[in-house]
Amino acid sequence: MSDLEIQAGLGRSPRANRQHRPPRRFGVAEALAGLFTIFLVTAALFPALVAPGDPLGIDPLSAFQSPSPAHWFGTDESGRDIYTRVSHGTGSSLLIGTVATLIGLGLGLVLGTLAGMLGPIVDFTVNRFLEVLFAFPGLLLALLFILIFGPGVATATVAVGLATAPGYARIIRGQLLSVRSSAFVEAATVLGRSPGQILVRHILPNTLAPLFVLGTLGIGQAIVWASALSYLGLGAAPPAAEWGAMLSAGRTYIGSAWWMSFFPGLFIVLTAVSATALGRGIERRLRHA
Amino acid sequence: MHLSGYPHRASRTLTGLVGLVATGILLTGCTTAESPEATEPITGGTLTYASGDAEPTCLDPHVGGNYPQALVGSQYLESLVSRDADGAIIPWLADSWTESADGLAWDFTLAADVNFTDGTPLDAAAVQANIAHLQDPETGSSTGYLALAKVTGTEAVSANVVRLRLSEPDSALLESLSQPWLAIESPTALARSQDENCASPVGTGPFQVEKWVQQDSITLVRNENYNSPPEDAAHTGPAYLDSIVWRFIPDSASRYAALQSGDADVIDNAQPDTIVQAEASDTIVHLDAPRPGASNRIELNSGRAPFDDPLVREAFIRSANVDDAVTSLFQGTAERSYSALSSAEPLAVSAPDLFGYDPEAASDLLDSAGWTERDSGGYRVKDGERLTVEFPVSTNQSIPAEQSLFEQIQATAKETGFEVVLSPMDLSSWYTALGESNYDAVSAPYTKVGPDVLRILFHSDGITPAPSGYFANHAQVDDPAIDALLTQAGRVTDADTRAALYTDAQNTVLEGFYILPLFDQQNHYLLGSDVVGARALPTVSTPTFYDAWLK
Repeated sequence: MSDLEIQAGLGRSPRANRQHRPPRRFGVAEALAGLFTIFLVTAALFPALVAPGDPLGIDPLSAFQSPSPAHWFGTDESGRDIYTRVSHGTGSSLLIGTVATLIGLGLGLVLGTLAGMLGPIVDFTVNRFLEVLFAFPGLLLALLFILIFGPGVATATVAVGLATAPGYARIIRGQLLSVRSSAFVEAATVLGRSPGQILVRHILPNTLAPLFVLGTLGIGQAIVWASALSYLGLGAAPPAAEWGAMLSAGRTYIGSAWWMSFFPGLFIVLTAVSATALGRGIERRLRHA
Repeated sequence: MHLSGYPHRASRTLTGLVGLVATGILLTGCTTAESPEATEPITGGTLTYASGDAEPTCLDPHVGGNYPQALVGSQYLESLVSRDADGAIIPWLADSWTESADGLAWDFTLAADVNFTDGTPLDAAAVQANIAHLQDPETGSSTGYLALAKVTGTEAVSANVVRLRLSEPDSALLESLSQPWLAIESPTALARSQDENCASPVGTGPFQVEKWVQQDSITLVRNENYNSPPEDAAHTGPAYLDSIVWRFIPDSASRYAALQSGDADVIDNAQPDTIVQAEASDTIVHLDAPRPGASNRIELNSGRAPFDDPLVREAFIRSANVDDAVTSLFQGTAERSYSALSSAEPLAVSAPDLFGYDPEAASDLLDSAGWTERDSGGYRVKDGERLTVEFPVSTNQSIPAEQSLFEQIQATAKETGFEVVLSPMDLSSWYTALGESNYDAVSAPYTKVGPDVLRILFHSDGITPAPSGYFANHAQVDDPAIDALLTQAGRVTDADTRAALYTDAQNTVLEGFYILPLFDQQNHYLLGSDVVGARALPTVSTPTFYDAWLK
């Protein structure tokens, strides 16, 4: 590498440096996670495509049937098909997870940017505020919010978003601070770029890229939390086809009809694991880029 | 010879010993295996009871007066009279009683030498204090208060004879007095503050409250001086058990798991699937004890739209497929009911024809009631209003199978065009929703001994809240004809006339489509096979552990 190239490299952020990306193959885990995610997205957008039945349609006389070719995941206490319900529940679960994560990220971005960019006094204030929020475990924050605004899908979503915001804010603030003091930002300053240009061209892209990874990881967690709230009877109300609510309904019959709670539980776990595997994969690629 | 004699004698002794031991083992084996009941009751031990009902907020069943209070209260409180297995009233704290010729005065002679566990003697003044406590609005009684509606005053005829004065004859007085909500407590204890009395009520029962750790358990210990068992008890003197630990495990699967693991000896509110499992097992015993009083039913609020229109009420009832739901959910542990009363009531009128599933008839009824249009959701609409049924569900009072039953009714009623909004809530939010009349349909168990429960549930007086704020006429039935029948039935003492009046009243209620009967009032206890001698009291089927002991 010539001196000139080094200089050029210094002036450009890693994000803008695209020519040295090492070719990487998909790992088995990522491929499986990808396939499952494609299934989930399809089920969320076009539930009738993967499961044509009615998720609320009862058939009392075929209640408590174990998994069979007719009912892949068995039936529940009202004879509703569990596979249909799990598939139709994907939409609401993914929506809750995504919206909650967006709320968390959005709030985190505002608080983090305020703290990271506006000088020590704002930084100090925001940090103390975040520390107070951190003193409460996330789920407790969500429960407090629901206590005030009442149970339901909308409040549960906002509650989960709020509960995850402090974590995002702290990460974003740290990221902003480290990017701001990095060599390429200093170089850009030395090269005479305006502060606005530096923020848009260097600081934000390098802060937001890791956020994408965080968000992917966060969706998994948000779905688990939202399911936990529904399980406790604070989110979706029965007989809604929602994974947490289904898990809760199946709990009563766990001794005699394991499939009622196993399959919704399996989907919660697989979704969280898939989101994590994909998030980690994207993270690795970004680090190598 | 002498020397060799020792081993001989020793071996003979040994053989004898072995033989004895072997015989002993065989004998013990035989006794335990073949006739476990033949063994003498063992004194001692602690029985753990795990309840699925809500934890009471007050251990004195005079205050409010619900079934969870009756369950635990039956262990330390006793009533003036009881019932035997055939339903006949038998003496308990009262040895005998007489009714005046005009039916307006009842004299009760109290059992001699009975003391409350705080040492206060049971006398006429104690009974007077209890009636006064139940009727005092400050107490906030509902069940006891309503049962004593006709009692206008009391007097002590002598130290052990108390007289109740009535405003009109009350054919249900003895049945009312047999209930745990009208149990007799120590007047000394009642004189304390309500908070103190709620935490440790004092009675004459076989056990007494030792301590109550809220959200966890109540510890009851044996009353060593107990001498007032009801006539149908199996023994006299103090109870066998040292103590009872009364726990609260709301989750039905955890409760059954506690019984299986031996952490609990007795559980209540057993789910149908666990009852089926228990009946197949030889380590768990099923005790089926149907409650008297009302059947399990949905009451339709006729006091506001849309159920102020009898056509809409009938349409809702015809749109609900209850038969299939009961068959699938209760797995043979409960029968479909077509009656306002529990099958434990001999006067129950059953009308299967009125409550069959008929979606076409339901549709026609809605059409004639003016609910002709449907919106995009498929629900019926009239004047821009959707046909919505608000249905608050108490998660404490309804077992999961019952909540699933409501979901199935919701699904079948939707086909006809009803939007049933199920709102699961805890007991206090549920009481609030009822108090504000903010419901169209509700399912509330009501337990009372005898057909007089009809007066509580369907007389228009029942729309007015009791001092506790609770009112029992959730269907808000306000029909002078029904009022007249029930008032008359409550007055007459002639059995045939009484039966005819209650039959007429039930028919009028059923034909008015105020209620949708679901299934018989259920009460299932599961007991570990080491529990011997436990039974349900034939009054309101609460368990009693006075005769119980642990193997």
